Amino acid sequence: TQAQDLPISDGEKYILGEIKVTGNVSYNEQTVIAYTGLKKGEEIYIPGDKLSNVLKKLWKLDLFSDINFYLTNVENGVADLELEIQEVPKLSKVRIQGLKKREQEELLEENKLREGAKVTENLITTTKNYIESKFRKEGYFNANVKINTTPVQDTTDTKSNLVNMVVDVDKGDRVKIDDIDFAGNENFSDAKLKRSMKNTKQKNLFRFWKRSKFVRADYQEDKQSIIDKYKETGYRDARIVSDSLIKKDDESITLNLKVEEGDQYYIGDIEFLGNSVYSDDQLQRVLGINKGDIYNGVLLDKRIMDQSRPDAQDLSNLYKNNGYLFSNIDLVETNVYNDTIDFEIRIMEGKEAYFNEIRVTGNDKTKDHVIYRELRTKPGQKYSQEDVVSTVRELGQLGFFDAEQLEPNFVDPNPQTGTLDLEYSVVEAGASQIELQGGYGGGGFIGTLGLSFNNFALSGLFDKEAYKPLPMGDGQSLSLRAQASTFYQTYSLSFMEPWLGGKKPVSLQTSFSFTRQFLFDYLTRRADKSRSFDILGVNVGLAKRLTVPDPYITVSHAIGFQRYNLNNYNTGLFTFGDGHSNNLSYTFGLTRDNTYVNPIFPTGGSKFKLTAKLTPPYSLWNDVDYANLGEQREFQLEDENGNLIDLNGGRVTPENAVPDQGKIDQEKFNWLEFYKVKFSGEWFTQIYDKLVLRTFAEYGFLGAYNNDRGVPPFERFFLGGDGLGAFSLDGRETVQLRGYPNQSVVPIDRPTGSTDDGATIFNKYSLELRYPITLKPSASIYALTFLEAGASYDNFRDYNPFQLNRSAGAGLRIFMPAFGLLGIDFGYGFDPIVGSPGANGWETHFIIGQQF
Amino acid sequence: EDTGEKYATAEQLYNEAKEEESKPKFRKALRLFEQIVPEYRGKPQGEKLSFLFADTYYQLGDYYLSSYQFERFQQSYPNSEKLEEAAFKKAASFYELSPRYDLDQTDTRKAITELQAYLNTFPDGEYAIRANELATELRVKLEKKAFEIAKQYHTTGLARAGNFRAAITSFDNFTKEYPGSPFREEAFYYRFDATYQLAINSFASLMEERLKEAKTYYQAYVKRYPEGEYLSSMNASLEDIETRLQNL
Repeated sequence: TQAQDLPISDGEKYILGEIKVTGNVSYNEQTVIAYTGLKKGEEIYIPGDKLSNVLKKLWKLDLFSDINFYLTNVENGVADLELEIQEVPKLSKVRIQGLKKREQEELLEENKLREGAKVTENLITTTKNYIESKFRKEGYFNANVKINTTPVQDTTDTKSNLVNMVVDVDKGDRVKIDDIDFAGNENFSDAKLKRSMKNTKQKNLFRFWKRSKFVRADYQEDKQSIIDKYKETGYRDARIVSDSLIKKDDESITLNLKVEEGDQYYIGDIEFLGNSVYSDDQLQRVLGINKGDIYNGVLLDKRIMDQSRPDAQDLSNLYKNNGYLFSNIDLVETNVYNDTIDFEIRIMEGKEAYFNEIRVTGNDKTKDHVIYRELRTKPGQKYSQEDVVSTVRELGQLGFFDAEQLEPNFVDPNPQTGTLDLEYSVVEAGASQIELQGGYGGGGFIGTLGLSFNNFALSGLFDKEAYKPLPMGDGQSLSLRAQASTFYQTYSLSFMEPWLGGKKPVSLQTSFSFTRQFLFDYLTRRADKSRSFDILGVNVGLAKRLTVPDPYITVSHAIGFQRYNLNNYNTGLFTFGDGHSNNLSYTFGLTRDNTYVNPIFPTGGSKFKLTAKLTPPYSLWNDVDYANLGEQREFQLEDENGNLIDLNGGRVTPENAVPDQGKIDQEKFNWLEFYKVKFSGEWFTQIYDKLVLRTFAEYGFLGAYNNDRGVPPFERFFLGGDGLGAFSLDGRETVQLRGYPNQSVVPIDRPTGSTDDGATIFNKYSLELRYPITLKPSASIYALTFLEAGASYDNFRDYNPFQLNRSAGAGLRIFMPAFGLLGIDFGYGFDPIVGSPGANGWETHFIIGQQF
Repeated sequence: EDTGEKYATAEQLYNEAKEEESKPKFRKALRLFEQIVPEYRGKPQGEKLSFLFADTYYQLGDYYLSSYQFERFQQSYPNSEKLEEAAFKKAASFYELSPRYDLDQTDTRKAITELQAYLNTFPDGEYAIRANELATELRVKLEKKAFEIAKQYHTTGLARAGNFRAAITSFDNFTKEYPGSPFREEAFYYRFDATYQLAINSFASLMEERLKEAKTYYQAYVKRYPEGEYLSSMNASLEDIETRLQNL
């Protein structure tokens, strides 16, 4: 842009000669000249418009603290110029005095006080003001900041143009509110008004958790709360006439507030206008405010449209949840007489809105089909705010996206055609976990490597392109885990696909695990690698949520196989040390769960669960006479040479042969044969306010098809304690019964000292009262007290529903999304456990994970 | 000076790399370009250097940075003779960034816009044919996305209430929005099938109206595709519709 050069006052025209730049330290002479735009040989007025524009342009850069042009030589109308510049110093080091390290770093960051920053006057002033006002906001009214800069003295004394900065901060004492005085309040006491101020508090020795500092923003908010407090009780005209802040001394202030209460008002007639979809009665029921009620402005606004809760039961949502996106509701006061106000609620229903297109953006890992199958809002469907809100919540629960950043955007809402597009914008979140740990335990080093991928894509397994770094986006989960120590190794792999085949929400779960345990000699602290016990497990299951007869029922099928292999390894489980046992079973499960609303703290509904685990009835067709195995030659005790012997090793005749228990058990358990049925039911009842009663009953029975073959020592029930599933080899089921030690409630008819191999029948009853302390999404906490009773039996002959082990106690549960459920219970057992006299007394239980 | 030497080496490496299609050499050249590009900014060599720098990112497959550097080149040197190549390669960078159809398509849309911008500026350009090919491929990708989403509503129609209706609306939108799509015939077929499935899974009171709706969609298909590949399966459905209508 070449502007016309004009002379200023008596400026004369010259030809521009040499330009010299002086005073520059960090900028190249050529660069500066190029920037000015002056070229040798051009015509120029001195003084003139062009030169002064150059000066302005240079000043604007904020890089120089002084700029001067000098005419150094004039010859034949050719003028040589000198441009003298003083560069703004750069920041070398900053020191902040009077603050903690962390505060210092924050301030440096917030004010951009970095090495190399240009130290302009502006920087110094804004920094000073920023720090002072920052501390004022925190209640330090006397904060004082001084900033000094000193040039850096280089040892070589060359021009460095660097300065050091010292910021001296004197926070002073925090100003406290000594007193809050109210005037003009007749209907509300001072104390009540002070309570309504949430963050502005008067000094009080007993209130140590909330300080009485004065923060202006909070104070303004609290003034509004005072007005709201009045509004809630009919004082519609209440206002704060004046308020003043009086400084008592450097450390304390007094607040004086003068209020004008006005009169208390009552609700008069409420008339609905413009409603055609809902009748006056229906609207009145949702509004829930009647003629003659005390006027409550806050509540009235909330019942029409609650700004704080998008899922509230209010008039606006009544329309918005049923397609009327374009509806609008206005509240108008039509008449005020004496202390009564008449209202009109004017409703513009507008056209019903339908979704046209539903889009998803931001999914750069998760594939469309995984997301779209979760969306409740669909093309062509009537608009429902409720559906939008639940979709956002459910997408968040998938765990693939950052729940905080999920938002629905309405695109082109068109009141004329009654259509809108909806766009869900998602942000992918890391959904994989890696666990790698090592440590000492159980007599040696234990290493664990765990990988879990929450959004895996099996389809990408053989696609090179999909590895970024792993195939992801099909919404499947895959986890791998390996654990090894000196005496055992465990490997497991599991895979879950929530929509098998993509047509219906049928989930497929498969898992595979292998454990090898070596005999561990506790004396030598060595594992004997030649003696081992292996368990191999494979499970495949399908679960499907039904739609008929109601949507709360889930049916599941699973096939499982376990193989136990003993290699010269004696456990309490088997009477033989060498051999194997197979457990092939089919499990059928039926669950009906309509508990609501919060899964952590249900306040209503019930949950029933029935499972049946069955093995094939081998004994029906395998022609083994299990009753008389001991009389057959091959199951009798013999020595190495095949001669029959007795228990003492002496030779015996076939008539006196002794059965070999090990061989018999091997024959009985080579394929486990049993059936197991369990039933549980629980009900949640809201008793009063948030107090909820949980009623729970559970039964289990393990039986044999063939009584001669008997019930195997596997899969049995162990009652008592916290009910947490401990590591076990025998597929045992632990049942919670608080007030007793873990797995201690054995059938009462057993002789003392008998080996505890679990019961085949149990029942358990429980009543629990729960009260929530907080139910925030970040952490839910509730307290509980309970009464429980349960017992286990060896057979139906001994079954006695009144012979129960009873207990009572109290506890606490904390649920945090990152940790799951944690809890502690104290229970008192009223009855003895087998083998000890008297009541069992107090027990403490720690609960980890879901226990309902 | 040192920078001059670096410039020469970098350029030589770039040329060799291009000749030998050697990524390691491109990487070496890139290291040098990164160092000298700021120094030559505003100087005569800057133009060539900026282009080589951007192209090195392109050759190395770092398309985020190549698209950005080509963009800068376009803005800094609007009169450059390399402008056409830069404009195409910028668009091609976005083409490369475009992910598979069932992920977010922001980069695909950006690529189509850039390719179109190239074709508008250089209608007879050296890369015009290629640019057209790429743009068509991307448009088909967007069509596939819309088609697959609509089809998923059809697939999950029995599992989720309202999905057949959603499929019909989506295929309606699809046929209107992409009149020349290769998935058009399929879309007409699935729209019919969604209506048919919806009708036969309806309460008796709604069935007649829905069966008739299905018939209109059948006719819509036959009119356009009298020899269509889905015709035999649709005729079977139509027969069923007729019997049901008679028995109502």
